[in-house]
Order: sequence, then structure tokens, then C-alpha cells
Amino acid sequence: MSPIYKSSLILLTGLTLVYSLQGFYPKFIALFSDSFLPIIAGAAVISSGFSLQKYWHKAKEQFSIVWLCFTIGLFLWFVGEAVRTGYTVVWSVETPYPSIADAFWLSGCVPLFMALYLYFDIFKSVISRKASTFAVAITASLAVFVSVGVIAPVAKTADLTTRMVDFLYPVLDLALLSIAILGLFIFLKGNLGKSWALITSGVLLNAWADVLFSYSKLQGAYYAGHPIELLYAVAYVFFLLAFYVHTKEL
Amino acid sequence: MPETGSEFGQVLFEAVDEGLLVLGESGRNAVYFHLQNLYSLKREDISGKPEAFVENLRKIFGMGAEIIEKAILRSLYCKLGLTYEEKKNHDFIMYVNDAKNTAEQERRQEITVDFSIRQTVDEPI
Repeated sequence: MSPIYKSSLILLTGLTLVYSLQGFYPKFIALFSDSFLPIIAGAAVISSGFSLQKYWHKAKEQFSIVWLCFTIGLFLWFVGEAVRTGYTVVWSVETPYPSIADAFWLSGCVPLFMALYLYFDIFKSVISRKASTFAVAITASLAVFVSVGVIAPVAKTADLTTRMVDFLYPVLDLALLSIAILGLFIFLKGNLGKSWALITSGVLLNAWADVLFSYSKLQGAYYAGHPIELLYAVAYVFFLLAFYVHTKEL
Repeated sequence: MPETGSEFGQVLFEAVDEGLLVLGESGRNAVYFHLQNLYSLKREDISGKPEAFVENLRKIFGMGAEIIEKAILRSLYCKLGLTYEEKKNHDFIMYVNDAKNTAEQERRQEITVDFSIRQTVDEPI
């Protein structure tokens, strides 16, 4: 196992332990979670930035744009995390929902989708009808699950902005997931498949975390340092690794 | 029209160079760098070892290699003045060999025609 995988495994095990044993340190976990997420998101931006440095040639090249979009998208997510930390750690107030942080997270999905789509677009003609159907089936079944689990209960909430934000998260997550799955199909048997598997896992974890977040927020069960935040942290670790692995495999 | 092996190799080299541009210049350079570093396949050796090239391309891109292969073949056929048509159960190497054989056949025909024209011209009236 290469050192980067080893270190990631140690980091993930450590994170899981820290979140699992949070009952012993309820105050610390909130501070830890609020501080760690922007750090790991920032690390993912740096990793993506190195990929951009490697693959950038000019703005007219689709492959260059892919990496620019990845970096912009992750940077916006990092700003979202930093704003959230600003609320809780710097200003010592509970992060409102929706907040300016949500604006950054949601807007970050757009360049990330563009990056995945533009990469997929170069190779899309090798995708068989069977693979497309499979990707559509997965996305559709997840869409049904999300609609029943989150969108339907959220639709009953009074605030229009909250309803829109709660609706946008799963929609954008599913869009990211469907295109990531298609990309994974293309590269699965090649070395780049490792990078795409990590991207897809990151997107999946993020989508899952968003669904759980909306649901627990709705139930009033969410708090700073909630185990859901572990999913976000792991997703960032996966993104960080995905870009690193990509530069190693191509 | 190229004459023999070495000229065909040059055309294939140029076609590979153009075909890899589907990834952009930086992507192309990354592929060359990767082929040389991980698989010891230098850029200038690709035309002499198309089997190794395509095998390693598939190792990197998986199914996605097909897109790059097609781009290279289109460029190769275009450079040779041939028409690229997709055939069932035909892989990259088969297409390259077909192109090489067709190019050689056409070259030979050209030489024969050229020779018979010269003979006709040289004959005393």
C-alpha cells in the first residue's frame, strides 16, 4: 500500500474514533468538527490546485477547463466551510439555516458538475446503453428515496428559502452523482478508475450527508459535531485523494 | 503517400500526436510522460511499438482509451488519404495494419502505373 493510502486510512480511522467517542467530550467535538472541516476542505482545494497546475494549458482546452472547474468548485465548498466555522468559532453563534455558507456550498456544485460533465463529455461515446440505463436507474431510485425521505417532509415547512435550499441540495447532489457514476463506468478498468472511484465515493458520501443533514435538521436532532459531519470530512478526504491519485496515474 | 515502414511510422507518430490532442496539450504531455515513466515507452518509440502503446493506453484509461484510439485512427487514415470506416471486431492494431497494407498496395500500384507510363513515353515512335 502506498504511503498516501496508508496515511489516509490512519486519518479516516482516527476521525471515525473521534466522532464515535464524542459522548466523552461533547464540547470538544463541536469545536473539532467546526475547525477540521475547513482544514480538510482546504487540503482538497490544494490537491485540486496541484492537478490544475499539472493539466492546465489554456482556457480553450476542455481538459484544462475541467481542472479549473474542479478547483473553483472545491474552493467554493471550502469558503462555505470557512463561513460556517466563522459563525460558530469566531462569532460564537449557531450557524443559521440557510446561511451564506449554503450559498457557497450550492454554488460550488455548479463548477463541480461542469468539471465532471466536461471530463465525461470527452469520452461519452464509449458509454453503452446498458451502462447509461444502469446510471439512470441508480439516480432514479436515489431520487425516489430522497423525494420520500427529504423533499416531501421539507415541502411542508413554511419558509420558502429553506424549502428551496432543502430542495436544491438533493437535486444538485443527484446531478453530481449521476455524472460521476457514468465517468466511473468509463474508467473503471483503467488506472484512472481509482481516481473516479474516489470522486464517486466522495460525491455519494456528500449526497448521503446532505440528505441526513436535511432530515435531522427537520427533526431538530442536528447539532455541531453530529456524526453526519464525519461523512463530509471523509468525502473531502476522498476528493483530496482522487486528485492526488489522478496526477499520479496520468 | 508514404513509401514503406519508416515513412508509415512517421505518419503513425504524427497521428498519435494529433489523436492524443483530444485531451488537450497538457493531457497529451501527461500521457507521454506517464508512458515513458511507468511503462518505459518513449514518445518516438510509439510508432514502432503500437501494441505496447495501445495496451498501456487501455491500462490508463480503461474503456475511455477507445476514444483516443479512434481519434488516432481517424487522423492516420486522413493523413494516408484513406477512408476510416468502423468495422466489427476490429481493434486498433488491425486498423493500423490495414492502413499500412492499403497504403503499401496503393504505393505499389502507383509505381507500376508510373513505370508503364515511362515505358510508353520512352518507346520510339
